[in-house]
Amino acid sequence: MSAIMPRGTRQLLLPASPGFIWLSILFALLANFVENFYFGGSVAWLPDFLALTLVFWNIHQPRRIGMGVAFFFGLIMDVHQTTLLGQHALCYSLLSFMAITVHRRVLWFKTLTQAVHLLPLFVAAHLVELSLHLLFGHAWPSWHLLLAPVLESLLWPFASFLLLMPQHRSPDPDANRPL
Amino acid sequence: MPIPSSNRYATFDGAPPPIFRQGASALSKLIFFCALAAFLMVADVRFEVAKPMRSVLATMLYPIQWLALQPSAGVQFVARYFQSLDAAQSDAQSAHRKLAAQMQRAAVAEQLQIENHRLRQLLDLRQRPETTGVTAEVIYDAADLYSRKIVISKGSSHGIVSGSPVLDELGVVGQVTRTHLLTSEVTLLIDREQAIPVLNTRTGARSVAYGDPLSFGGTLELRFMAANADVLHGDLLTTSGIDGVYPAGLPVAKIDKIERRADSAFAKIHCTPIAKISGASHVMVVTPVAHLPSPSSPPHPPPSESTSATIRGTQS
Repeated sequence: MSAIMPRGTRQLLLPASPGFIWLSILFALLANFVENFYFGGSVAWLPDFLALTLVFWNIHQPRRIGMGVAFFFGLIMDVHQTTLLGQHALCYSLLSFMAITVHRRVLWFKTLTQAVHLLPLFVAAHLVELSLHLLFGHAWPSWHLLLAPVLESLLWPFASFLLLMPQHRSPDPDANRPL
Repeated sequence: MPIPSSNRYATFDGAPPPIFRQGASALSKLIFFCALAAFLMVADVRFEVAKPMRSVLATMLYPIQWLALQPSAGVQFVARYFQSLDAAQSDAQSAHRKLAAQMQRAAVAEQLQIENHRLRQLLDLRQRPETTGVTAEVIYDAADLYSRKIVISKGSSHGIVSGSPVLDELGVVGQVTRTHLLTSEVTLLIDREQAIPVLNTRTGARSVAYGDPLSFGGTLELRFMAANADVLHGDLLTTSGIDGVYPAGLPVAKIDKIERRADSAFAKIHCTPIAKISGASHVMVVTPVAHLPSPSSPPHPPPSESTSATIRGTQS
């Protein structure tokens, strides 16, 4: 029994539906767009919902959402933000790699502890992006940039709650299926 | 009771994961994608290879961006709906007043244009080409912390070419730097990598203004002006028209701050852009001067002569 339901969860989760995974990623992309439309390029500390969602699915469903997906959505963010093609793609691939590397370990903890574990990942992704910009001769933006990974990992428990909701549904047990 | 055939409530979704054939390792995938990203970055800077890819992605992205814009458009619509009648009427009145003033100027300008045309013919100067423009809506400010760009709602399918100057109702906003099928990217004047040749209308001195996004919320800077150069606070800078891109005489900026320091041979001159750089909602994209057919020019003028003629034309 403990082999099937480890991960500190009380309840056995239903399988994730691929439709919901893609819908959630698309929704995160939309959220990023809306955020960008409202604040433009003036605010450095905005959390990246798309990165958060990609990391979430990389950790929970690494066989469905891997580095290729992260790379593709990175390219989309590059086109949207009119930055150099490949910058976000590189950061997202790196983030995805780190998420896949830690996914077996992280899921044993409670969501708040998971958030602490994921903070270094988000910090690393933002630092890589920053260093790429500095490498291409752009000016230092602002110290508020360091707030973005903190916000992203603070959003992790909420993301976990929201994105696991469809899998928490009751699996209608009957006499033959006690689960 | 029969066991349900659907796999819906199984512990594993789909087939169980393979034990041995797991595909490429995560590290090798990472190396592949990093190499691909590095190649794309280099290709985007140096070669034209990445351009079609970006265009395809941008066109694919347009419906999603449109969808993401709808909430803010809705909020604006409601806000406009509930705006008081007084405000709307005063707006209309001020617009009428402005229009009347513009009409007067337009009439004078038309007369001057005819006069100018005849004088130029008399002096045997090359005719200045007339520019044509396309109006476009600003879709959004690009959310890049490191550059200042906007995305507008007209693209290569509307005849916009890369390099075109972009104006609003007050002056120059920037320049089209990338065109996609339905949208274009405009680099604003205050971007760090943007430069515009300008002419001081008081003195006639030409120089180049560079973008300076960091100081005072986005300004322009005149570099390499001698410390004793004749520049005063409030001088108007217009496009000089010698670059083959911007038509001459468009308002660009006003001189705002002049710092003359003893330890430097150059003065540090900051100018404020005249156009509503960050708040423009509608812009006009003008065909670059070099792309225009030169009207009734003398047959085969040598290039050096034509350049000097244009310069003389600007100063006359």
